[in-house]
Amino acid sequence: MSVVLPTFVESAIPVLDAIIKVDIGSFLLMDREEASHRGRNLNMNMSGSQKRPARLSSALFVALATTSTALVTTLGGALAAPKGELVVVNWLGGSELATMQAFEKAFTEKYPEVTIKEIPITWSGDARGAIRTTLMGGEKVDILINTWPSFRQELVENGVLRPLDDVWTAKGWDDKLTKSWRDLGSVDGKVYGIPYNYGDRSGLWYRVDTLKTAGIETPPATWDELLATFPKLKANGVTPYIVPGKFWAHAEVFETLLIRTAGADASRKLGAHEIAWNSDIVKTTLKKWREMLDAGCCADVATMLGTDWDNASDIVLKDAKGGFFLLGMWINNRAEENYGLKPGVDYGLVQFPALGLGHDADSSVDAKEFNAVTSGQNPEAADAFLDFAISAEGSAIFAKAGLASPSKATDSSLYGPVIRASNDVVAKADVVFVLGDRLPAELGDEYRTQLQKFLQDPSDANIDRVTDALEAKAKELY
Amino acid sequence: MTNRHSLWIPVLVGALAVAWIIPLVGLLLTSLRPPGDITQGWWRLDNFSLTLDAWKSVWTKYPLAAAFWTSFKLTALSTLGTMLLAPAAAYAFQFLRFPGRRLILIVIVNAFVLPQQVVIIPLFTLWRDTGLIDSLWSCVIPFVGMSFAWSVFLVKNFLEDFPKELIEAAKIDGCTPLGTFWYVVLPNALTPIAAVGILQFLWCWNSMLLPMLYLRSEVPLTVLLARVAGSFEPNLDQQSVAAIITMAVPLAIFITFQRYFTAGASSRTGGKE
Amino acid sequence: MAGPTPMGISRDGQEGGRKPSFFGGSEVGAAYVLLLPMLVLFGCAVVYPLVETVVLSFTDMRGMAAGKWVGLKNYGTLFADPNFRAALSTTIVWTLVVTALSVGIGWGLAIVCSLAPRATLVFRVMFFAAYGVAETVSGFIWLGIFRPDTSGLVNAVLAGIGLGDWTTAWLGNVSTALWCLMAAYAWTQVGLPLMTCFASIQTIPKTLFEAAYIDGARSASIMRYIVLPLSMPGLRVAIFINLLNALRAFDMIFVLTGGGPVRSTETIGYFMFRESMLQFKLGYGAAATVVLLVAVVVISIPAIIKRTAEAT
Repeated sequence: MSVVLPTFVESAIPVLDAIIKVDIGSFLLMDREEASHRGRNLNMNMSGSQKRPARLSSALFVALATTSTALVTTLGGALAAPKGELVVVNWLGGSELATMQAFEKAFTEKYPEVTIKEIPITWSGDARGAIRTTLMGGEKVDILINTWPSFRQELVENGVLRPLDDVWTAKGWDDKLTKSWRDLGSVDGKVYGIPYNYGDRSGLWYRVDTLKTAGIETPPATWDELLATFPKLKANGVTPYIVPGKFWAHAEVFETLLIRTAGADASRKLGAHEIAWNSDIVKTTLKKWREMLDAGCCADVATMLGTDWDNASDIVLKDAKGGFFLLGMWINNRAEENYGLKPGVDYGLVQFPALGLGHDADSSVDAKEFNAVTSGQNPEAADAFLDFAISAEGSAIFAKAGLASPSKATDSSLYGPVIRASNDVVAKADVVFVLGDRLPAELGDEYRTQLQKFLQDPSDANIDRVTDALEAKAKELY
Repeated sequence: MTNRHSLWIPVLVGALAVAWIIPLVGLLLTSLRPPGDITQGWWRLDNFSLTLDAWKSVWTKYPLAAAFWTSFKLTALSTLGTMLLAPAAAYAFQFLRFPGRRLILIVIVNAFVLPQQVVIIPLFTLWRDTGLIDSLWSCVIPFVGMSFAWSVFLVKNFLEDFPKELIEAAKIDGCTPLGTFWYVVLPNALTPIAAVGILQFLWCWNSMLLPMLYLRSEVPLTVLLARVAGSFEPNLDQQSVAAIITMAVPLAIFITFQRYFTAGASSRTGGKE
Repeated sequence: MAGPTPMGISRDGQEGGRKPSFFGGSEVGAAYVLLLPMLVLFGCAVVYPLVETVVLSFTDMRGMAAGKWVGLKNYGTLFADPNFRAALSTTIVWTLVVTALSVGIGWGLAIVCSLAPRATLVFRVMFFAAYGVAETVSGFIWLGIFRPDTSGLVNAVLAGIGLGDWTTAWLGNVSTALWCLMAAYAWTQVGLPLMTCFASIQTIPKTLFEAAYIDGARSASIMRYIVLPLSMPGLRVAIFINLLNALRAFDMIFVLTGGGPVRSTETIGYFMFRESMLQFKLGYGAAATVVLLVAVVVISIPAIIKRTAEAT
């Protein structure tokens, strides 16, 4: 199962604490007196219902003011080697966790005077709740791992993240990350996130022998070719296309179709609600999906809604009972390690077929990034950490674990054939972050439910209902 | 109880129990079979081989001993707290008269419907302000506090059938209310107290939400093993190991203490016999 | 301090009529001593968060930003929300079925087992094991049982015995999802009624059973006249706990269906979670919690009043 882990969920904490609202970045550049004066003003500006934390935050302000002087001195010596403790919020699990820890170890080997303290967060359902809890609990954190642009936005709006533009220029990251990566990690023109890992989310996975025995010599490159594979696969007792509609993975199909129909820019605009959900662009996309359904791509609705992404992966790649499915790059690791398949030989990835509408190279991607948190006590170690992530040696650690790095400095010979191929495509394409992670949580949830409803009944009337419902929800939120 | 019983009872119950336990057998097999073999189902006999890989890897990768100890401390404190305080409260509600009796009981019993998520936010701020984050008490206090909703109800229910003559006799004898509680009621209430203890142990041992949020440096088993599951990995074999390890202790407690349920364990010092 | 009188001997002939009052210590004082620690912990752990939740339900807090006061607006939206109304009806079905199933089976088993406690010990442990496994893990197990294709146990069995046409995606099919979920959840919950009913039956002195057997009573009548009435306290407790746990149930729903397909298996408990945690509408989720609480209080007040009236 995707992001599910045992039990409960942590929720966000009411922001009663002015710690979050303080822009510590500006403290560093003020002198101590001004800082505590500012702090006192902020205290007084808090609303009356937030009485309790006022005591705590004024104490904290004094502490901050004291350390700010020390920090100013340290920042002044930015060229000195980083040292001290670096606090990292780490909510990853399984092998991603192991890779991250290997990366941290390499970092401390390079800068032996830095010790890394991890704040391990356990979560289920959605890590954001637990992350919020930690941040609001007053933990002084330097680095945060983030994979949701909408969350990054929320944190920026609440003053939790430190903008990295100055560091970017100082460390010359332009030669490691392209402008489109910088934009992907930015909010309102300022960059906050340094991606260390990304994945293509617009590729179809398939098993080589499944296609061959169905008489399909090469994987489909155009829409018509894709639809033409369906009867051949069905004749072989294989479900041509697996839609994992149980929780969230079906939304990827919608988004990739949207990108093919109207471009990555359309997805960008939809995420910002510059295009309405009940506009023709969205409806055309859904009708395209219907075309696929009518061509016999998929199993019945109940099966689609009962299939999760891991089932889909098993069906297509392990049991050879499915033709294609659309999912992110972690499938590569799954196929290699869990199924014991060889990339390129036993299974492959093909970008979603061309629709011929001029957007056939566009892609959606997901990425994991590091954010620098304002409450952190060790900004220059944090900056060194970020730098290391996109350096050749740092990113090699991720690359060896099968995680693609966006850095230009990465040695691409470390990638297997599948990742390398997808990297090539993405590097040239107009990319946009996965829609589901860009939407505010409430809309994202509604989006997935409504798409399930669409699958139940892809008629025109229902398309109108579904899109109207989404638009209504979006209107409330933007 | 009596040793004379028909054979049909264990046969019937046994058959149902064995069927009941099939999913747990599945759990065990998932932990013992290589993950590649069981994608088509753990009951498949085609590639049957057993391996201890998952067990070994969980054992070596995670500091289980420390987590065990933390779980134990946390659970033992919470269980003792409830086992001591719930019968006292139940006795008070059942046999004593005092103002607000009904109202307080209504509040307490209804609090059971409160889901844990509701509790965590405000308690987090409270613990943060009092500096109790990362201390065991940040979890013990809510565990015990929230347990009263059902534990008081449970003990009180058992006490409702408690022979009133004993209480009256004690009163007549000049026993104070507290004394009656200590000498008369408590020794005869071992069964509900054992039941409360078993349940509280089980729920605290298995709980993950509060420890996940309030504890950092020393985490209990459930929190530690929650990290076994990767977000995009099917390491169900390791997750199964984690589940079995976690489950073993409450089950052992149940087996050990359920003998307090057997007839004769709670001897009545003054019943009709 | 004087101990209890030797049994059977009454002191001053008081049978019925005026109840003697405790002397040497007031009832109210004793009540305070016994209750105070509990009330403090309870107040801290439950009442305080509850009050905060009620306050939160009157705000529109979302995510990390502080909310502003909106009065009863959340409640209005709640009752107009079709998802909430659907969750209400799902909850009623869910709670009744799951409680009836788990308590019924547990109770029945307890009665039968009480006649042969030692022989059935192993089996009782098995039922309790199902209860002792963490709910999310149970969820994963049942997920594997209900898989849509023949890699799921149910479908594999059906196909194996020739009923291949009946195979379906159990958890993806709107008509079967809720029933499967209820079956899985009830499976986990049988351990508790079994334990409490068994425990309460066992409070009988050993000799009574022996006497009944010596008198020639058959198992069936023993069950009906001795065991059944004895199981009542345990039964009441089991119904209470299982009912309220069903209302709060969440983990299994989360793992098995995520409230789907199309939110058809969403109970109020899950709805609250979804609104508060997945959609981060904390004010709204709090309002749902308060509604649930009020509903439970309203339902339970008559029962409690009745019980406490009988008590003294």
